[in-house]
Amino acid sequence: MRYAFLMWNNTRMIVLVAVSAAIYAAALAAFKTAIPLIPGITEVRVAGIFLMTFGFLFGPAGAWGLGIGNVIGDLLGGTLGPASIAGFFGNFLLGYLPYTMWLTFFPFAETSYEWNAKNPRSWSAYISINVISSFACAVTIGLMVDALGFVPYAVVSRIIAINNIIGNFLGVILLIAVYDVTKNQLGLLWIDVMRVKPVGLSVRGICGAWIIAIGSIAGICAGFIPGLPTTAIIWSSLMLIILGSLIL
Amino acid sequence: MNLSIYSDDKTWLHSLDPRTKLFGTTIVFIVCLCFNHPLHTGAIALCMFALALSAGAQKAIWKLRYIILMLFLFSAMLWPFFTSGKTIVWTWKSLKLTRESILYGLAMGFRLSTFVITGLILMATTKNEEITDGLIKMKIPYPLAFAFSTALRLVPTFVKAGATIVQAQVSRGLDLESRNIISRFGKFIPLAVPMFISAIRYTNLLAMALESRGFSPDMQRTFFYEPTMTKRDWIILYFLAALLFISLYMRIILNMGVVMPGRI
Repeated sequence: MRYAFLMWNNTRMIVLVAVSAAIYAAALAAFKTAIPLIPGITEVRVAGIFLMTFGFLFGPAGAWGLGIGNVIGDLLGGTLGPASIAGFFGNFLLGYLPYTMWLTFFPFAETSYEWNAKNPRSWSAYISINVISSFACAVTIGLMVDALGFVPYAVVSRIIAINNIIGNFLGVILLIAVYDVTKNQLGLLWIDVMRVKPVGLSVRGICGAWIIAIGSIAGICAGFIPGLPTTAIIWSSLMLIILGSLIL
Repeated sequence: MNLSIYSDDKTWLHSLDPRTKLFGTTIVFIVCLCFNHPLHTGAIALCMFALALSAGAQKAIWKLRYIILMLFLFSAMLWPFFTSGKTIVWTWKSLKLTRESILYGLAMGFRLSTFVITGLILMATTKNEEITDGLIKMKIPYPLAFAFSTALRLVPTFVKAGATIVQAQVSRGLDLESRNIISRFGKFIPLAVPMFISAIRYTNLLAMALESRGFSPDMQRTFFYEPTMTKRDWIILYFLAALLFISLYMRIILNMGVVMPGRI
């Protein structure tokens, strides 16, 4: 979480926040009413292909960019409301988890902070983090939206999770296409911009990653198992996601 | 493609300080959350609709009429199956509809419509620059407000660049209209690559331009446009604060406007 605040002292990272927020908001606003799933709440998110790419390449700037971009998308799409706060935190997680879990989500994690399409470890990290970050976002938004009386958790959480997973799977093509240009030609990989080393394989990192993973999976699965105290499990899941995010 | 909802009129809401409108919007959102009876949420929705008409926001509402209608219908039809009450109206196998859950569904439909209408009033009466100025005056950290305002300004540029790329690919034979959702989704990716690269090239140029002008995230600054709170702004804020207090009193102490006690 340290770098998510330290980055505000770096001009290039601030500009990256603005640019990634603008790209995401432009894609959201352009396709807002194209294929709605729950009108005003969620739609088929073409912009979903940017999620992992922004999170992995721009790190904390990508996370803030996705959060702010989602609010701007609501603002321009005319759906600004209390749910936009939930959208901010959910989308922030979608950008935050890829860069924090890339080296810490043992045994699926990569050994170095790079993307190599020929390395199975890059794929295992990408796929596992895609699923966990999508679940974490779905639990966060679903719970808040349900509490506000917008849409039932059971409906919205699954739609958001599936939407994000599909977007991220298709987004790997974008990552493959732009990784080299961003890192080597433009020098905009966040660890190079901030001149830092991301949190590596440590007990604290592994614990944080797994706390988030358990919270996310439990939150999504809670609705499928009858007889369980669903609300209590979902709230506990959110607490685990917040705790894990603070640890990372 | 016009992305702006702002309507260039001179109504009384346009002339208010952006902070008043931001705080006012937040208070209306909280007041909405105080009740879950359709009579109360319906009355709030009606008031906000009247306010939208007086603020000249009818064009924005007309633009989003299908979203508001669908939102209302979707919520009114979905919630009755996910909540339960005491008075059973209809049952079929494990499905059950109660009077309370139907009323709750209607209340949520009104609540959602109110949220959208309130957000539209804010956007139709406040320029993007005013929102940023309001946020800065409300002590939001400057780098965050700067990123927000820069992003707002860049969105039309990127949408335009995206439209040019789409037109270039369509002229080469790319078919974006036919086939199913997944297929159309997939066709967007080859378009996203040049959009991404062209947008990201801005970053270095913009950062260099900022640094060459002495930009420093934590520096104290002065502003050309300084929003000021007038007597009218304070009167409106006091009125809204009183409204919020009354709503909370009705909900918490008198237990009024509630059809489903356990829910917000």
